[in-house]
Amino acid sequence: MRQRKLEIYSVEHHAATDIKKKEGRDGKKDNDLELKRNQQKEELKKELDLDDHKLSNKELETKYGTDIIRGLSSTRAAELLAQNGPNALTPPKQTPEIIKFLKQMVGGFSILLWVGAVLCWIAFGIQYVSNPSASLDSVYLGTVLAVVVILTGIFAYYQEAKSTNIMASFCKMIPQQAVVIRDSEKKVIPAEQLVVGDIVEIKGGDQIPADIRLLSAQGCKVDNSSLTGESEPQSRSSEFTHENPLETKNITFYSTTCLEGTATGMVINTGDRTIIGRIASLASGVGNEKTPIAIEIEHFVHIVAGVAVSVGILFFIIAVCMKYHVLDAIIFLIAIIVANVPEGLLATVTVALSLTAKRMAKKNCLVKNLEAVETLGSTSIICSDKTGTLTQNRMTVAHLWFDNQIFVADTSEDNLNQGFDQSSGTWTSLSKIIALCNRAEFKPGEESVPIMKRVVVGDASETALLKFSEVILGDVMEIRKRNHKVVEIPFNSTNKFQLSIHQTEDPNDKRFLLVMKGAPERILEKCSTIMINGKEQPLDKSMAQAFHTAYMELGGLGERVLGFCHFYLPADEFPETYSFDSESMNFPTSNLCFVGLLSMIDPPRSTVPDAVTKCRSAGIKVIMVTGDHPITAKAIAKSVGIISANSETVEDIAKRCNIAVEQVNKRDAKAAVVTGMELKDMSPEQLDELLANYPEIVFARTSPQQKLIIVEGCQRQDAVVAVTGDGVNDSPALKKADIGGAMGITGSDAAKNAADMILLDDNFSSIVTGVEEGRLIFDNLKKTIAYTLTKNIAELCPFLIYIILGLPLPIGTITLLFIDLGTDIIPSIALAYEKAESDIMNRKPRHKKKDRLVNQQLAVYSYLHIGLMQALGAFLVYFTVYAQQGFRPTSLFHLRIAWDSDHLNDLEDNYGQEWTSYQRQYLEWTGYTAFFVGIMVQQIADLIIRKTRKNSIFKQGLFRNKVIWVGIASQIIVALLLSYGLGSITALNFTMLKAQYWFVAVPHAILIWVYDEMRKLFIRLYPGSWWDKNMYY
Amino acid sequence: MRRQLRSRRAPAFPYGSRYRLDDQDEVNQNYLADEEEEAEEEAQMMMASNSEEEKEEEEEEEKEEEEGQGQPTGNAWWHKLQVINEYLWDPERRMSLARTGQSWSLILVIYFFFYASLAAVITLFMYSLFLAISPYMPTFTERVKPPGVMIRPFAHSLNFNFNVSEPDTWQHYVISLNGFLQGYNDSLQEEMNVDCPPGQYFIQDGDEDEDKKACQFKRSFLKNCSGLEDPTFGYSTGQPCILLKMNRIVGFRPELGDPVKVSCKVQRGDENDIRSINYYPESASFDLRYYPYYGKLTHVNYTSPLVAMHFTDVVKNQVVPVQCQLKGKGIINDVINDRFVGRIIFTLNIET
Repeated sequence: MRQRKLEIYSVEHHAATDIKKKEGRDGKKDNDLELKRNQQKEELKKELDLDDHKLSNKELETKYGTDIIRGLSSTRAAELLAQNGPNALTPPKQTPEIIKFLKQMVGGFSILLWVGAVLCWIAFGIQYVSNPSASLDSVYLGTVLAVVVILTGIFAYYQEAKSTNIMASFCKMIPQQAVVIRDSEKKVIPAEQLVVGDIVEIKGGDQIPADIRLLSAQGCKVDNSSLTGESEPQSRSSEFTHENPLETKNITFYSTTCLEGTATGMVINTGDRTIIGRIASLASGVGNEKTPIAIEIEHFVHIVAGVAVSVGILFFIIAVCMKYHVLDAIIFLIAIIVANVPEGLLATVTVALSLTAKRMAKKNCLVKNLEAVETLGSTSIICSDKTGTLTQNRMTVAHLWFDNQIFVADTSEDNLNQGFDQSSGTWTSLSKIIALCNRAEFKPGEESVPIMKRVVVGDASETALLKFSEVILGDVMEIRKRNHKVVEIPFNSTNKFQLSIHQTEDPNDKRFLLVMKGAPERILEKCSTIMINGKEQPLDKSMAQAFHTAYMELGGLGERVLGFCHFYLPADEFPETYSFDSESMNFPTSNLCFVGLLSMIDPPRSTVPDAVTKCRSAGIKVIMVTGDHPITAKAIAKSVGIISANSETVEDIAKRCNIAVEQVNKRDAKAAVVTGMELKDMSPEQLDELLANYPEIVFARTSPQQKLIIVEGCQRQDAVVAVTGDGVNDSPALKKADIGGAMGITGSDAAKNAADMILLDDNFSSIVTGVEEGRLIFDNLKKTIAYTLTKNIAELCPFLIYIILGLPLPIGTITLLFIDLGTDIIPSIALAYEKAESDIMNRKPRHKKKDRLVNQQLAVYSYLHIGLMQALGAFLVYFTVYAQQGFRPTSLFHLRIAWDSDHLNDLEDNYGQEWTSYQRQYLEWTGYTAFFVGIMVQQIADLIIRKTRKNSIFKQGLFRNKVIWVGIASQIIVALLLSYGLGSITALNFTMLKAQYWFVAVPHAILIWVYDEMRKLFIRLYPGSWWDKNMYY
Repeated sequence: MRRQLRSRRAPAFPYGSRYRLDDQDEVNQNYLADEEEEAEEEAQMMMASNSEEEKEEEEEEEKEEEEGQGQPTGNAWWHKLQVINEYLWDPERRMSLARTGQSWSLILVIYFFFYASLAAVITLFMYSLFLAISPYMPTFTERVKPPGVMIRPFAHSLNFNFNVSEPDTWQHYVISLNGFLQGYNDSLQEEMNVDCPPGQYFIQDGDEDEDKKACQFKRSFLKNCSGLEDPTFGYSTGQPCILLKMNRIVGFRPELGDPVKVSCKVQRGDENDIRSINYYPESASFDLRYYPYYGKLTHVNYTSPLVAMHFTDVVKNQVVPVQCQLKGKGIINDVINDRFVGRIIFTLNIET
């Protein structure tokens, strides 16, 4: 434990030094992106003394003992594999299975029961020494207790193991392969078997299987987002371009993706020695904290164990004072502990949690850690990543501007509903440019797939344009075929435009069509005319002004804007046979005709605004933490409601009132957009203030360390923080969060490993479902516990009365176990299926220190109200049985000594009949059975009343939760089986009970129901009253 | 304008991940593992708030804790004790257990009424239940049937060990028998009970609540074992008398014309260890006129019939296990679990 803490601190310390470093460099670099990169690299550099990028191929060959052409020999590779281990991240130290198992055996109530069992055996040992014919009862009891502990332990262990196995099977889905040259042959081997010095081939779409020094590359681009969070494609070649191994072009890193092109390279690091491996070990240094539900359950176990032990010891002392034999007193002590401990409850809780986990998995929320199920429910702050979680993670056309007018395009997931005016001639031209001036292509063979789901080869914006035009125009490939492309200039960062020249589909029109798209200002520069309503007009100042207004407006929405223009090349200058050359550009690229603007955005998922609203009403603060640009971040935040429509940031107010930002009263602003730059200048106190004062916050341009800082800041506010993220860089924050949710589709391994939960569909609204389920299970666990605790009093009273008033023992210890582990198990699980009483998403998240799972009200109401009523009801059945057999209640008091005497075989009852010892014993067992049945019948009522805590049962619906009725049926069937099926086995102390005794407690059960309905009625009628405060649990 | 857009990274779970996904397992079990330090501390906090008794335990644990951890924790414990103390009685706000006196009295009043009405309800249930149960006849008698057997004298043991020549060793048997037979004195029986015809049931029809007459069973029926002629019941001569009685059961009737007989023999060992037993009454049976029994309330003077066994010739200075069985229709004497139903086993060890 202590060790782990140290590690946590070291990470925090680390983050702190990072900030200092950033501050130091602040003056020189303004670009915070640069800073972020540097900061991260700085951190990595410390451990990174890599000089492979500087070496020549020859030097590399000697260093790694390999041959670039022939590769390693198989034997050498095998040697290296044996020496360095497989190319995979080492699992973090796992608790050995046996330890896990033993933990289950001694955790919770188990230790109490073990003590009970051992005491039983000791008691028997002492008895045996003094009297070798001592009864074996206490040995049985001890054994039964031990068996109970072992069985529940095995069960809990099995449950845990099962949920672990789900994960294990889930992640074994795709075994990674790598193409490697060994023994001069190309081989496909599992990536795990790669060793340093292997020559591997990579092509577009592959995941890089290890840290690789490139030897040759053709148009190779990689996506380093899993490493840096930046998803911009970066080109890679074999040249050494930078001192820093992280920036040089000739090294690619493990777990990043090759987007396009091919490359050959040499493996220089494998497994844990890769950069990713090092970050992952950094993340695993962040310790896990106890989940809220674990704390709650611990709290509950302590309450119950405390009550059990203290009542037990109190009555042990009383028994000794009443001159009972010490051994008897010990047996009483054990019985009281057994009566008080809900043996089956922890198993029930585990089952309830795993049921919820299953339900959540169905809703695309895969929870790795059972307890995390509830953590989501107590979440009060969600720090959400933007890309992919809140947004669809694909560029989509959002707006168009032509004919001096802005049109809105449909950005929903299916995109089919493009309702803007398409009659204008300008649109015809524009759509043609969009379709033609585009290099992206659909992957063949997917014609039957909906357009939006087809795979496209090409970059994000081209893909967006292709899909957009495919939706509107139909078969774009066909259009391109009809308008044969003669020449093209692809987009590059110097030109900032893309151009192509096509033959037109009109056979009468022999002119070539030049189409161009690119950065709007660059396109506009090249134009002299503009098309309005299908007609070319000179581009005058007012039109240019209109263009700028539109451009600014779209840009202000955080969208990526592209300009489009075209030009029909005069047929006389450019005859059909004209040979175009893209290098010399022997065609005009100015005085073109501007057609329109088109803006794209990665649009929010359609379910997100709703989900954010739900979070809001559920009292959960949603904070956006993104690496993206503040403007885009803010635009998305606005469109999904993270920043609500009517709230403004300080900057907005300043702009509206035309005053300086400093003059704005900060209290007026509800929203805040904070960049990483600003964040790094903040002290923790300032961050706390920020988090506390603004209900709507967006963090943009943040680094992984800053994410960690933000999470810690939230946790300082006593909030339960959920974090979503997908990159390796998110993993420390994911681990630090109370519950980390990794993206199932785009998420990196490290993120998934660090997370407690995986959103299989990368969708934010899955979190909301999770919150709902988490809250529901918390409520339902309350009900389950209340249900289970109630009967403890009914189980405890018999022993107390036996000790104090000397009645024949009303119920045996083993019989009690049949309630706890027999009749009550399925009903208490059934409560986990209960539907929410009211809209649980309309209340505040629970305060983790104030709203306890088991609070005073719950304990008092269960123990002192319903529990007591139950005890009385069960005694009624017990007394009835005795009275009808000849012993009236009054004669039972202080009968214990005579009753339990084996030698007394003519004990007289109220009718003057005489009973042998065994006849009395048998009657006593009948009494046990009767008491048992009494409790069982009233537990049915208890089960029904526990369906709700506030609403009337009739409002909740008696039959809506069918599982409750399964539970009730199981209770009755188990009781019937015990009484009639096993009634002849004397060891179990059950007898066949007369049919009428099953109904004696029914009026009492009804009384319990009526009383609880009254309680609920008063709570509803007088909210906030004394009754409400003391009786609502 | 620069934007961050992630391309779809196809493989969801590449290699290497399979190990790490379950690295939180140990945390899973946190709620079951309370050996951790904080847990214990918390436990004691919890327990403290429960009741005062726990404080004792807690202090014990506390000591252990302090021994283990040394000085620094001492202050923390002192602080915690103060917190607990304040919880128990907060002089500033005049609150005990976080409630004011007013709040406590309200609670007491409400609980008083709650429990009072609960008591009323349970009393009502009980009362109506016992109205339905007849005080004269038990509702069911199947548990007390078939009848058990008991012997006199009985002094917490079924082993009769005595030395003929040492009266101290058997005097208490004599006293016990004498005491037991007081109710059978001829004078008393003649005065209280009727002499009813033998060999048939003594059936008394009439209302349940009518008093019933009882048949005489005179001490003199027991002849040599009556203690009238030999006030030592044969113990002084090494020929002990043991009285056997059948447990009373309301409404029990032996088979007509076939009264329940008693027969004794050596249970284990040499049959000849007991050479002769005399039974009184000589029939060694319980006459039918003593049945049926009408219950304590109306059959006040009912006297249980007895059969005396006079062990006139038993091997001396040796433990002789004796089994006496009831025989007759409707009598069961071989229940394994119950060694007193229809039979009784005792040992005789007569020393001379």
